Amino acid sequence: PGVRTPPVTDVLVIGAGLAGLVAGWQAAERGLSTIVLAKGWGATHWHAGCIDVLGYDPAGSETPVESPTEAVAKRVRDNPDHPYAIIGLEALAESLEAFKALCARSGYPLQGSLERNWLLPSALGTARPTCLAPETMIAGDLRRRDPMLLVGFEQLPDFFPGLAAENLVSLGLLANAITLDLPSLRARRFVYPSILAQLFESQAFREEVVAALKPRLGESGRVGFPAVLGVHDALGVKNDLQDRLGIEVFEIPGLPPSIPGIRLHNLLVAAIEQAGGRVYNGMQALSAETDGSRILSVLSEAAARQKSNRAGKFVLATGGVLGGGFIGNPQGELLETIFGLPLAAPDGRDRWFSQEFLDPQGHPLFRSGLRVDANLKPVDESAQVLHENLFSAGTCLSGADYLVERSFEGVALATGFTVGKNV
Amino acid sequence: MDFLHQPVELTLDQCIKCNICVTKCPVSPVTDLFPGPKYEGPQAGRFRQPDGFSPDKSVDYCSGCRVCNMACPTGVRIAEINARARARMVSQGKFPWRIRLRNNLLARSELLGKVGQPIAPLANLVLANKAIRWGMDVVLGIHRKAPLPAFSGRRFTRWFHRRERPEHRTRQVVYFHGCATEYYEPRIGRAAVQVLEANGFEVIIPSQNCCGLPLLSNGEFPAARRYHANNVRHMVEYARRGIPIVGTSTSCTLTIKEEAPELLDFYSEDARLVARGTFDMNEFLLELWEAGTLNMDFQALPLTLAYHAPCQYRAHRLGRPAVDILGLIPDLNILESKADCCGIAGTYGYKTEKYQIGMDVGIPLFDFARQASSPVVICDSETCRWQITHGTGIPSIHPIELLAMAYGVPPEGALAEVMKIS
Repeated sequence: PGVRTPPVTDVLVIGAGLAGLVAGWQAAERGLSTIVLAKGWGATHWHAGCIDVLGYDPAGSETPVESPTEAVAKRVRDNPDHPYAIIGLEALAESLEAFKALCARSGYPLQGSLERNWLLPSALGTARPTCLAPETMIAGDLRRRDPMLLVGFEQLPDFFPGLAAENLVSLGLLANAITLDLPSLRARRFVYPSILAQLFESQAFREEVVAALKPRLGESGRVGFPAVLGVHDALGVKNDLQDRLGIEVFEIPGLPPSIPGIRLHNLLVAAIEQAGGRVYNGMQALSAETDGSRILSVLSEAAARQKSNRAGKFVLATGGVLGGGFIGNPQGELLETIFGLPLAAPDGRDRWFSQEFLDPQGHPLFRSGLRVDANLKPVDESAQVLHENLFSAGTCLSGADYLVERSFEGVALATGFTVGKNV
Repeated sequence: MDFLHQPVELTLDQCIKCNICVTKCPVSPVTDLFPGPKYEGPQAGRFRQPDGFSPDKSVDYCSGCRVCNMACPTGVRIAEINARARARMVSQGKFPWRIRLRNNLLARSELLGKVGQPIAPLANLVLANKAIRWGMDVVLGIHRKAPLPAFSGRRFTRWFHRRERPEHRTRQVVYFHGCATEYYEPRIGRAAVQVLEANGFEVIIPSQNCCGLPLLSNGEFPAARRYHANNVRHMVEYARRGIPIVGTSTSCTLTIKEEAPELLDFYSEDARLVARGTFDMNEFLLELWEAGTLNMDFQALPLTLAYHAPCQYRAHRLGRPAVDILGLIPDLNILESKADCCGIAGTYGYKTEKYQIGMDVGIPLFDFARQASSPVVICDSETCRWQITHGTGIPSIHPIELLAMAYGVPPEGALAEVMKIS
């Protein structure tokens, strides 16, 4: 009381993918009042729950990056527009360390460093270079030569251990597959990853799995499961299975919804809320009110009328086309959906795509994005800042095709962290 | 193109099959009878032709909580697709007459109130009788344990119209009390009126019907349309004059704002005006605060209380207005529930075949409420309050009751008991 009107929120972050959540976490940790606004849950639920910093250089190369430190330094020299070049390698390293510390504090440690990429199996049995991986995945390291047994479930249609094992064998590795047909799953009409993750958290289900699996381990040195080993205490579930089986256990991430991604989402949301910030979903940002140079508020979709969300500073972290940050129209224009910011994009619809669907270089459209200054503020073609209190983070930035070069989460994490720390 | 008002069925084209909704649905993890939002909404929706049959009766197991809509990154109106699919099954006669009868009994909250409230002592005695509840379970399909509320001895509007009106009012507001306040919990209406009056408003209560939500969620669309049309007719003049319409039942206000127009394709100019002029109580108070016209003369309430934002409240897509408003009361400490849904979902948890599903959905909320060791649980929606009390034994109150008390209005009911003890 005494205060006649509500205080203006310090920071409004738009988008709840990795970049938005990390920006919100950093801003809230600094004591700023912070709200993360999202249309729905997004990229964290789609990606593998690992932090890819740089997997291939140049993009489209067949040889995975061994050491991100060296490769990123080279990438930044070759491409001064890359987000890593804008924020600098120190900020990248700092963001990785801070995120590792948060995950460790949350009981879900990530392993790895910029010195050396992991090479982990994908759900198709291909090799996946990544920088940080949860402890639940690292026994799948493909540089190790000990034989693997990949385990599927008859009732789970999202993971085919036979296919993965066959592809791993073709890479010269020793891999076998087995599909379990468990009574408790047979009794269910639907088995999805989220249901299995819930089941793995019960000891009774783990005992059932172990009883069926242990006699069939054969000569295997380690066992790979689809990444469904619990949501709340995945490390505990993995360690318990490991103890009971007497053999190392690892997870293989697969199709969305990604349980390992949900774990990262959950621990970031918890960190934001613990620091006094808020995360609201179902509130799609539609447009902004400005006084020319400053953004005053962002209007979000709500029942019957739009809601005005005022704040001192705004962070745009809505991703690209898939994230809903950009939309393409039939005239061949690519548009940023909320503020109408200009994008660096191919000139004309016929230049959006390469001739080949699976072009190793990717499609020009997916290298589109915002041009930003050194503070990650969006700028126009002549490098003038568009709004003094608007920042951006994540894969809405131009500079590279993050999926093709395998830097998607690294760019999201490092730019989200930098914005949240400096906003 | 107006993306926000395309027919709900068309939004299924935006589904990218990412399954995020499936991981958030509170119903499908506790029962095999509901395959999950993606399968039931956008996927089965492809097989529902305008004049054809609906492929799957399991759609009736959608509780309509809208957690899926809120999680969807591409804007599919999953819960509404399901509600409209259920309505088509009802209109095609796919539900047995006994289920229709039961659903209509549960969904006619206004009719029940009109019949039961005048004979409250007798009606309450009857509804508390175990043998009668057992009979209702077997014959009608209303679960014997489900938390039927007790009729109040006095209607809310009777109190309202017989009291002395304060003078020197500078502004006007319409209060939509809803059936629960009128017949079961008039104390909430009394608190609301006194909070509005403490802010200088003359409170107007026009003739009003049930908002129609229970009918909408049981697929009884023609009856819901009649109610909504009446409400629009009774309130449009106020909306036209710019007098805000405010409600304490968050599901009633959501229905007037959005659910009735959207599900019924009820987009007349009058219905739009009423929708745009309708506010949830806390949303309205927040707007007053933002305009600098909220009475800030709150007394301290040194309490620590648990709060649950109902799924229907989140679906207004306003953040957490109740928490923001309660935060203005000095010394009041709020513990927020993270649970998605209490499980009752209006009439859903009353049905014999769905009672256990509702109780299982509510487990995280019940656990939270018990661990919070809060003497009362705060919640904006009536059936959720009854479900919380049923699941935990802890009484439940509306946020407006705390605001009224902070303005110096003597508390009633469970809140009065708490204050006596503390």
